[in-house]
Amino acid sequence: MLLSLIIFVPLLGMIVVLLLPRDSEELIKRVTLAFTLIPLALAVYLFIAYDRSDAGTQHAVSVPWIETFHINYHVGIDGLSVTLMLLTALLGPICVLASWRNIEKGIKAYMALFLLLETGMLGFFAALDLFLFFVFFELTLLPMYFLIGVWGGPRREYAAIKFFLYTLFGSVLMLVALIAVYLNSSIIPEERTFDIPTLISLAGETEHALADPTFQIWVFLGFFIGFAVKVPIFPFHTWLPDAHVEAPTAISVILAGVLLKMGTYGLVRINMAMFPEGMAFFTEVTEETGLWGYSLALLGFVNIVYGSFCALAQTDFKKLVAYSSIGHMGFVILGLAARNTMGVNGAILQMFNHGVISAMLFLLVGVLYDRAHHREINGFGGLGNRMPIYMGITTLAFMASLGLPGLSGFWGEALSLFGAFQEFEILAILSTIGIVVGAAYFLWTLQRVFLGKLNPKYEELPEINKREILTLVPLGILTIVLGVWPNFALDMFRESVAELTKLMGTFQAGL
Amino acid sequence: MVVSLISIILLAPLAAFVIFALLGLAKRSFPRQDLLSTLAMLVALGCSLYLIKEIVPKPDPHTVEWISLGNITLSMGFYLDSVTVIMLIVVTLVSSLVHIFSIGYMHGDPRYPRFFAYLSLFSFSMLFLVVSDNLLGIYIGWELVGLCSYLLIGFWFEKDSAANACKKAFLTTRVGDVGMFIGMMMLFTKFNTLSLYDGAQEGIFTQAAAQLTTGDMVWLSIAGILIFCGAIGKSAQMPLHTWLPDAMEGPTPVSALIHAATMVAAGVYLTARMFPILTATSSLVIAYVGGITAIVAATIAIVRFDIKRVLAYSTISQLGYMMLAIGAGSYVAGLFHLTTHAFFKALLFLGSGSVIHAFHAMHAHHDEDHTDEAAHEHDNHGLVHEHGSEIPPDQDMRNMGGLRKKMPITFITMLIATLSISGVPFIFSGFWSKDKILGGVLGRAMEWNSGHHYILFVIALCAAGITAFYMFRLIFMTFFGEPRNQEMHNMAHESPWTMTVPLIVLAALSFPAVNHLWFNKNNFKPPDQPHIQAPQHAYVSPDTKIAFSLFGLSEAEAAEEEGGKDTEQADKAHHAHEVAHNIAMVLSIIVAGLGILLSWLFYHRRRFSAESVATTFRPAYNLFWNKYYFDEFYDGVLVALTVWKSRLFAKFDLSIIDGIVNGVATITRKIFAAFIGFFDNRIVDGIVNRVAEVTWAAGGRIRRIQTGAIQTYLFVVLGGIVLIILIFRAL
Repeated sequence: MLLSLIIFVPLLGMIVVLLLPRDSEELIKRVTLAFTLIPLALAVYLFIAYDRSDAGTQHAVSVPWIETFHINYHVGIDGLSVTLMLLTALLGPICVLASWRNIEKGIKAYMALFLLLETGMLGFFAALDLFLFFVFFELTLLPMYFLIGVWGGPRREYAAIKFFLYTLFGSVLMLVALIAVYLNSSIIPEERTFDIPTLISLAGETEHALADPTFQIWVFLGFFIGFAVKVPIFPFHTWLPDAHVEAPTAISVILAGVLLKMGTYGLVRINMAMFPEGMAFFTEVTEETGLWGYSLALLGFVNIVYGSFCALAQTDFKKLVAYSSIGHMGFVILGLAARNTMGVNGAILQMFNHGVISAMLFLLVGVLYDRAHHREINGFGGLGNRMPIYMGITTLAFMASLGLPGLSGFWGEALSLFGAFQEFEILAILSTIGIVVGAAYFLWTLQRVFLGKLNPKYEELPEINKREILTLVPLGILTIVLGVWPNFALDMFRESVAELTKLMGTFQAGL
Repeated sequence: MVVSLISIILLAPLAAFVIFALLGLAKRSFPRQDLLSTLAMLVALGCSLYLIKEIVPKPDPHTVEWISLGNITLSMGFYLDSVTVIMLIVVTLVSSLVHIFSIGYMHGDPRYPRFFAYLSLFSFSMLFLVVSDNLLGIYIGWELVGLCSYLLIGFWFEKDSAANACKKAFLTTRVGDVGMFIGMMMLFTKFNTLSLYDGAQEGIFTQAAAQLTTGDMVWLSIAGILIFCGAIGKSAQMPLHTWLPDAMEGPTPVSALIHAATMVAAGVYLTARMFPILTATSSLVIAYVGGITAIVAATIAIVRFDIKRVLAYSTISQLGYMMLAIGAGSYVAGLFHLTTHAFFKALLFLGSGSVIHAFHAMHAHHDEDHTDEAAHEHDNHGLVHEHGSEIPPDQDMRNMGGLRKKMPITFITMLIATLSISGVPFIFSGFWSKDKILGGVLGRAMEWNSGHHYILFVIALCAAGITAFYMFRLIFMTFFGEPRNQEMHNMAHESPWTMTVPLIVLAALSFPAVNHLWFNKNNFKPPDQPHIQAPQHAYVSPDTKIAFSLFGLSEAEAAEEEGGKDTEQADKAHHAHEVAHNIAMVLSIIVAGLGILLSWLFYHRRRFSAESVATTFRPAYNLFWNKYYFDEFYDGVLVALTVWKSRLFAKFDLSIIDGIVNGVATITRKIFAAFIGFFDNRIVDGIVNRVAEVTWAAGGRIRRIQTGAIQTYLFVVLGGIVLIILIFRAL
């Protein structure tokens, strides 16, 4: 019940917002803020009340929805989902605040779409029915399309369509795989199911059609491509820089903070748990799999190095951050490819931390853009004296992102790498190149924007204001708290990950 | 007790920084941040001194589980042995003195409070590194001191040179850090822990010693060398040394604290800490890296004119010395030199700061209108241009001379430090520590089977002589002779007491006798750990004996510590080392004397002209002057290559990958169009066109959205969802 409340409160908010008069913009913003704060409060409660020692599903609700296809409205949370729901709920009000002044037209529709988006995201992380999961996955797509396509920058139409089609392309493959899973869940039509926990246990039964290695590999691929577009994994990533550059600040925050995590969350929830054989094929080097066994780790490595090098070459501040996201998501993939306790825990921690840090980065880019109306890194210079607080917060976010120990970004990367090293020594070692290049582009940016002589054009640039600080402070606190005490997050999903590795362990002896 | 004392030591400076940061967010600042930070450091110093009492022969680590992942845990904790306490005292003492010095030196800087806040953050990070009992904690402190170094080198970030230098420092050290990180991954994968000492489970040292029996040493050698990579970066060893001279762009107190006494010594500390797992191979690598660094940096220092750069290269060279000692097995000598060097090199830097400060008053006078913008910013006029490198006039030794009368306290204290670093015998601490290193290296060379490792001893000896030469060159050029720049000379003055008092204290610490005051007996003991290189104790003994006597222990007590190892073989080795030490001592006194004599002839009596020697040995001079072309190679090849590669990647991304994506879209659209044309568009028009519009051709349509009909679209979306549900229900 509580879970459904969190998911649908934003939807209720959307209806309320739609009923409000178009002119009362201030009211619309406040109502939206209120309807994002409620899920946040509930998510915090959920987070605190979550039983950390229990690896199973909590707060589960299951009611029949479309009985013909045995589709249930089945939601529930484990440690992984509650962590990501908290992240989503936290970014909600922050994004509303970040949109307070810089959305000039159509604020009502903007806020309504935003609330719809939030329902989609929250529902996605809670869904335990494969079809429901898919519906929520798609539900995020449409509002995102409009939010970029209408309120975006000059090339918004191109970016929005690119985003839409790319994701749709992935979704189609996912849909095919999804139907295949459904049809194979039982020979008897009446016993077929979309229920994720049931499917996971069915896939664990020997001789079951779902457990067939070849079947698993193909279905794995179907889901994988769907999620890979979302993560995004090279070479399906080119929609991301465009979407980020064109999207308004708050939407970039959601995109990097939550939407990318939907891809990796899907990989964990579906690909790893449901298709351990398929997963093993792409992550375990045996005589049978041969070089395929390297493929997922290799993709993680490519993401890290490729994303980092591309970021180094960017001169558009936002594009740089977008490419850095690609690089950092590579650590998630690398950690997941390791499949061991450290790697998976690290990957999930990295998901959360990247959500927080990249949200900060995009908010910070937005702050500068709102003032200077451009994002050309070389066009600034010497802002450090003009905006010391802004520089301080930016330095914090950069340092967190480049993996400075003591800030949260480090732990996700470190644990992922530690985990990966145990399985793929060489790839893990090569991936550390990303750590150096990551430091290079962030420090270079810091220098070009803040250090040196003040660009005379910006002598009057105003310092970051209270509202903007308010959006950044909670994220900054999380960065430091998780940097000092990562167990705060690890406590949440440690047991769930243990369960997951056991699940995979039953399929691979000797893991 | 121990835990609470260490907590106070760590939290006091951290609190000083946190107060600054929190107030800064509210656009305020603590009125006397300088006093707050200084007080925090003094508290930490007091606690550190008190900790001497708490040292026990075999300390237990005090740990908590930091990362727990079910069956895997990473713990974090403190470990307190004599080495820890020495480091704690060195760090808190030098840091306190630098804080006090900075009150005078940084006075009037627009970012004065921030400077002290950064110093506090640095002190916290450094102390955290020192007390950590595990590699993870060391790595955390390691990176945090790197951050502080970055922030402080770039403290005057309006200067482009400072902005470049801080970036370079961070990135260069990070290259080494990645090596260390990989080493950590290797050790963790092998031993399943990052704790060095035994706690809930066996630590790395115990487990590594057990490896001795299995014989798989190659693996361990690689891990040891990788960990040492971190030290190469932080301690500015070849080939990652180039950031340290540039780091002199930071305020001089920072150079003294971070880039001479503490942070750069952290690499030595780490290597010494890791000594128990160093194999013969990794030791040899360390010894050669250290030895080469010592001699190369010393040769570069001879030809510098920037007083801070001379000291920077001297620091690199001395750090190389310490590494050499550890590599040769005399890690106690290495740590010993670390301690003495921390005091006399901090003194030299602060002294140079005092000189710069004296000249600076004149400088500020000249550019009065600039002072409010950035007090220490150097204007373009009066810059000395040579070979493209620019030396600020107040740091150029060619503008100095004859300052000994103007600045007597600075002169005398710096002279003491110079005598110490040059290895003038018996009454200066530097002589003892340097002599221990030379003796250790010679002893080791005698032990090594093949004779060619004597080269290490030759290198060390040459470096010692060169050190004496360039240090006295600095003293003669700065304090003796006639003033070369009368205008600047007239403005020079002795520094205020906040600056001279730290100088006097540090000068006092350059005498071994003074160290007895803070270092009580029974406290200095070599780490009691199983070692990979089992016969090491034989080498340790002479070193410890001297170290013990330095810190007030009698020979008898030292022998007692070494008791139980008096086998015949150890006795023999012991004797060989006695001989080695005697030879080394005589030779080191001779080379130091030669260095000083030559320096005196060149730069005081002017019997020889440095210029003519430079002309005679042009190629060598050019090599030294251009710092062996390391910077040229890095900037011209490595950095350029990286940037080029990144551009290539970005271009590839934009034209190839994205090109394919756009191409597929175009082709699909064309096929679609052809498809539509192929069929009778009267029939399919209604359906396909609609689909095509929504998907491929939506671009043109979207303008309609902008006109405000979004609500309709929203309802369409919702309606679509409802429709899907209805369809499903119907099925």
